[in-house]
Amino acid sequence: MQSGTIFDIREFTVHDGPGIRTTVFLKGCPLRCSWCQNPEGMSPIPEIMENPSGKRIVGKLYTSEQLSSILNRQASILSDNGGGVTFSGGEPLAQAAFLAEVMDSLGNLHVLLDTSGYAPESDFRRVVQRCDLVYFDLKLMDRKAHIRHTGVDNSPILRNLSVLASMDIPFVIRVPLIPGVTDTDENLAAIAKGVNRLSGLIRVDLLPYNRAAGGKYSALRKQFCPTYDERRPVHVDLDVFETAGVKVRVAGTVQK
Amino acid sequence: MHSLVAESLVLCSTTNFDTSRLDAQKLRVRNLEYKTVRLAASPELLTECEREGLSWPRRAARLVRRMCEAEKPYIHPDERIVFTRTTPSVPPIYSPEQWKERTDGCTLHELGPISNICANWGNVLSQGLLERRRVALETRQRLTGDSEAIEFLDCAIETIDAVLDLAARYANEALRMGKSEVAEILERVPALPPRTFHEALQSLRLMHAVVWMGGHYHVGLGRIDQYLWPYLKEDLENHLLDIAGAEELLAEFFISLNKDSDLYPGVQQGDNGQTVMLGGQTQDGRDAVNELTHMAIRVALYTNMIDPKVNLRITENTELSLLTLATELTRRGLGFPQYSNDAVVIPALVANGYDPADAWNYTVAACWEFIIPGKGMEVVNIGAVSMPLAADQAIRAGLSAHETFESILKRTTENIGEQVRDLVKSYSRLLLPPAPYYSVLMDGCLEAGRDLSFGLKYNNYGIHGAASSSAADALAAVRSLVFIEKSVEPEELLHAMAANFEGYEALQDRLLHEAPKTGNDPEADELLVTLFDALADACDAVQDNGRGGRVRPGTGSAMYYVWLTRGKPGDCDDAPIGATADGRKKGEFFSANLAPSPQAQVRGPISVLQAFSRLNYRRICNGGPITMELSDSVFADPEGLEKCAMLVHIFAKLGCQQLQLNTVSLSTLLDAREHPERHRNLIVRVWGWSGYFCELGPEYQEHIIARHLYGD
Repeated sequence: MQSGTIFDIREFTVHDGPGIRTTVFLKGCPLRCSWCQNPEGMSPIPEIMENPSGKRIVGKLYTSEQLSSILNRQASILSDNGGGVTFSGGEPLAQAAFLAEVMDSLGNLHVLLDTSGYAPESDFRRVVQRCDLVYFDLKLMDRKAHIRHTGVDNSPILRNLSVLASMDIPFVIRVPLIPGVTDTDENLAAIAKGVNRLSGLIRVDLLPYNRAAGGKYSALRKQFCPTYDERRPVHVDLDVFETAGVKVRVAGTVQK
Repeated sequence: MHSLVAESLVLCSTTNFDTSRLDAQKLRVRNLEYKTVRLAASPELLTECEREGLSWPRRAARLVRRMCEAEKPYIHPDERIVFTRTTPSVPPIYSPEQWKERTDGCTLHELGPISNICANWGNVLSQGLLERRRVALETRQRLTGDSEAIEFLDCAIETIDAVLDLAARYANEALRMGKSEVAEILERVPALPPRTFHEALQSLRLMHAVVWMGGHYHVGLGRIDQYLWPYLKEDLENHLLDIAGAEELLAEFFISLNKDSDLYPGVQQGDNGQTVMLGGQTQDGRDAVNELTHMAIRVALYTNMIDPKVNLRITENTELSLLTLATELTRRGLGFPQYSNDAVVIPALVANGYDPADAWNYTVAACWEFIIPGKGMEVVNIGAVSMPLAADQAIRAGLSAHETFESILKRTTENIGEQVRDLVKSYSRLLLPPAPYYSVLMDGCLEAGRDLSFGLKYNNYGIHGAASSSAADALAAVRSLVFIEKSVEPEELLHAMAANFEGYEALQDRLLHEAPKTGNDPEADELLVTLFDALADACDAVQDNGRGGRVRPGTGSAMYYVWLTRGKPGDCDDAPIGATADGRKKGEFFSANLAPSPQAQVRGPISVLQAFSRLNYRRICNGGPITMELSDSVFADPEGLEKCAMLVHIFAKLGCQQLQLNTVSLSTLLDAREHPERHRNLIVRVWGWSGYFCELGPEYQEHIIARHLYGD
């Protein structure tokens, strides 16, 4: 049986997909986006968070059976209310074998994968084929800029995006709007152009940056080093998507 | 300024009337302008009571009469529903020495006067006070030989006459001001049954305000959408009133309930028990929700004030649209509506001896306790069993004696029983003062010639099972680590607790983070069920509370969760319980009502509802809500609102009893910044993520706080 490292299980996550949902946050991520708001999701191993209310260990090992039994206890409630389970992170695909085994134990629960898309294609296919809906992040279309701000090349992401479009699984593209980085006219236009013909695309969600992104770093003794000017207002452009024929919305409110 | 603008934007979408007139009234209430019309002093009664040698019942009646007489009618030119209290306090009817002598050896409930019950307002409205007076006179003729009855009835009549006289003086004042509509209404009500919705509200306003003037408090209003509906329905059918006009009147009535509330006694300002109950079922099990149910919520959204406190009776069949509307109210952060589940509450009341016809008509007392309007002289708050104390004593004694876990559980059960017996014993000489005016408003007092203080149809007591999750967690930790895993020696745990976990941090960490917790783990939930079964057994064992009633167990905590931790205000002793086996250090808070321990990080509301749905509510009918805090970000968009309504539906479907949803408010955030240990579970959501507020760096906390300060 596979085991995986989870840094949180959170119920009633109203902004993580349709209906009443529970979100599982898997620990570990190959990306190092400078705006990352979940720094405890970066390292794949448990670590100590220390804050004014005390210390706690973030990250706990679960067997697929332990995790699925917690989720299955509330399966009928989630299903009856148009919801299900969302797997987020970190990058959930970094624990693809574990994730696939958990998903296989979930019966008919609606499953949503919230991913950066950065994974070997085989892992991507293996997990996505078990999903009902995918939230796929697209940050930067320019390869060099992607490396600079996230630490990784975007080609595996773009390749997986085209794989996704061929898999007949509905998906939402999510674009974090980082001031001066991802919210530029060029980048948004490139994203709109890159997604407008993809089969299975439901819509694009724009997620405007919020200045509290760095909040958890000090508790982990990490430095928050944004590669952009935090104070700069976010440029929210819906038109570029609408003129490309792409359904778009600003997710939640600014604070979400 | 900003908030007023924001608010007025919301108003347009909720109510249908032009709010300018009532906006001004609200502003006057908020600015405490009504205080300026108050008299310098209230009437002095002691002298005449002594001179005339009045009995206690006669003094109680005289108090109502003199207070009504002292009222100086005040009508603001823009008012259509009148009465503003001008007497600044309720004067004593006995000197302190006399009072001490009179109550010596007896137990008074809280401050003494009858409180925390609900009149049969529907009945009094539909009869009118003149009819109540006629009933009193009729009984007086029938019971001529019964001097006690005669005295009570004379007292009741004295109070009725006082109210009628007050109404007449208000009518005159209205005439003098050229307000013929108000004058005409007060010439009719509360003497006679109202003919219109407007008359009904005016009648209720006056009769309700006089209860407070008699020294009573926690004066509930009951099922307004049921007993006021016939008047509104007829007005709507006869085109005397449209929806907008009705909303405006109801809003004015709601605002009027806030005018005098600084004069009302309570543990905290606002703790005044002016509850209303909406929704529910009719006697034959049909949905009782009507246009007035919706209207009352819309109007509460408009008034956005702490009174009246809205309760909503639901079942799993309640329309999601009503729940969504109610959720809008939750979003305001006022902490209501509080929901109760008819499918659970009514059978529990019936199982505890209530007639089905009465059970379906239940409302709540000041907080959450289920009571029957007009038929209950129940004391629903005689005290609280300290669940953590019962468990802690058992754990310490049991571990010291190397007993089994079953023995520790048995000791816990015995401790609960002993606490219940002590509480009931402390109320064995309960003294309820006469309440002639309140009796006029109850069922059967005038008919039988007996003051309500002698008892009504239901005379039960209520006991809260306080801080229950903390107790269950302590037991669960012991069972799991000491008895199942055997990874902790009994002595080690005892020493660690004695040392307040200093030098035992690793063990404390395991107790806090590895041991099962109520709301997360079925092993702890199961112990919570055991604790409440024990409480129910102990209450059942009290066959008669001394007033012909039973003792009802409940799941609330009231203020006891603070008192159990910090000691009662004014009490300088150390906190009564030290460090506990769930890893909680001495002085840290216990759980309140039905909620996970503050030290436990739980997964969220679904697990919490599942945990508390396991209780045997049929045996637990004193009430006490599952209490949850939701981040305001949940309510940021229509989708979130609807999901919150679905959560309420899940509450009902799972068979839970009562639910209170709170939204994180600015004050909570500020308190969390100062006292992070109290708010470990406080979650704020920013952009695409959720975080524990207390784990954010100070500058980010500031940011979130600023967001609440200045809006979006």
